Amino acid sequence: MDLQFLYSLIVSIFIGGVAGYLGSLMVTKRMALVGDALGHAALPGIALALIYGFNPSWGAIPALLLGILLIWFFEIHTKLPMEALTGIVFTASVAIAFLFLPESEVSTALIGDISKISLSDAVFSVILSLTVFFILKKNFSKMILASLSEDLARVEHVDTKKYNFIFLLCIAIIVALGIKVTGSLLMGALVITPAAAARNIASNLFQYSFGALIIGAISCVSGVLLFKAFSLPAGPFVILAASSMFLISLAFKKQ
Amino acid sequence: MEKNIILKVENLNVDFGEDKVIEDLSFDLKEKELLVVLGPNGAGKSTLLKTLLGLIPYQGKIQWRDSVHIGYVPNEFVVPENLPLNLKEFFQFKKDTPEKIFQALKWVGIEGSEKILKKKLYTFSSGQLRRTLIAWAMSDEPDVLFLDEPMLYIDIHGRETIYDSLVKIWEEKEQSIILVSHEIGEICKKADKILALNKRKLFYGTPEEIINPQNLAKIYGSPISL
Repeated sequence: MDLQFLYSLIVSIFIGGVAGYLGSLMVTKRMALVGDALGHAALPGIALALIYGFNPSWGAIPALLLGILLIWFFEIHTKLPMEALTGIVFTASVAIAFLFLPESEVSTALIGDISKISLSDAVFSVILSLTVFFILKKNFSKMILASLSEDLARVEHVDTKKYNFIFLLCIAIIVALGIKVTGSLLMGALVITPAAAARNIASNLFQYSFGALIIGAISCVSGVLLFKAFSLPAGPFVILAASSMFLISLAFKKQ
Repeated sequence: MEKNIILKVENLNVDFGEDKVIEDLSFDLKEKELLVVLGPNGAGKSTLLKTLLGLIPYQGKIQWRDSVHIGYVPNEFVVPENLPLNLKEFFQFKKDTPEKIFQALKWVGIEGSEKILKKKLYTFSSGQLRRTLIAWAMSDEPDVLFLDEPMLYIDIHGRETIYDSLVKIWEEKEQSIILVSHEIGEICKKADKILALNKRKLFYGTPEEIINPQNLAKIYGSPISL
């Protein structure tokens, strides 16, 4: 097995797993499409990375951080729903990116490219994924409580503003990393589909969140293996694998 | 502050922009006191509770005794359809053990069992969910229990069960209770104090002093039969 492929496989397992785990919270908080929108909000950063020849994830991170800071700032000052504000920020980002994204790089930006991952990229991706996973795991119950009733959570001394910000930050990091695997166009599916599939078959929150993690990781491994077998981009395979698992989950849906 | 007073409210004002929701309200809450806040829809009752809980900005003075632990039952609590959150996990937000969960459920008249611990919250009836929420708020034995319209969406039989549970809890425990309601129920007669509100304080006193046809007509704006 060549090293490059091994790195791709390891990175995709970690990113896919944590994206699924994060997705279980996003679907609960009715923020499923935020991942999709943020994938697009990263485009100006990805475009710059592709033009200057560095890892698209490192270009996506500052673009996303700027995006979530704007969404967070607008939410506090306008009280408009987060999805509306995310919509404004992501469409503006897409518009900016397409002003200077070279035509030859459009495909890489939109559907990703997992074939060129260096050792340092792999190490950073694994460390960041694990960091996000442990932050989410530590605060999972508080975030679920806040999604059920913000007032109740605040009475229980949960700083909901702080946790919303941490949550957005985690989304931004995973979206930035996931862009390498699925590209900005398909990133939303990497967080939504594993969570939706797990929700169909879970009996409790633990099965739901860790089910999403496992389905996310399996989808990514399947996608990367299919990419190796057919020499076609991994992103679409990853999402089709996740979608297939969602369809299978329907057969086992619990009441 | 007097020794047995847990909460003292003085000249409380709350406004949402131009709209004054609570005007110049003063009252206090003593240990083991049951205070019922009465008033029509839109009188500012839920806003009062949220203000006391520190969820809404205000002018005036809200003084709590040191280290008072509060339990809260909001009037709106919806568990999304298909969220696989079971009863045991819901109580684990408070890090409760199964023994503590069973004890809290017993207070509200729900039989504890391994089966009910695994039951998903969204499959509960409205009454069952309300009682579970009260048990949840009570499980870590708060000094004060805030209940915002606990009978909302509950049928008559369910209301009786919840009222019975509340009276039992209040009689057996050392807690103070602030109960918000827009209707006159049996629990009003058991209350130590009634605070009748319609943006400002209309009446504040014992049920014997407050609950009569003339006062109720003034509170609700039309004659009410008891």
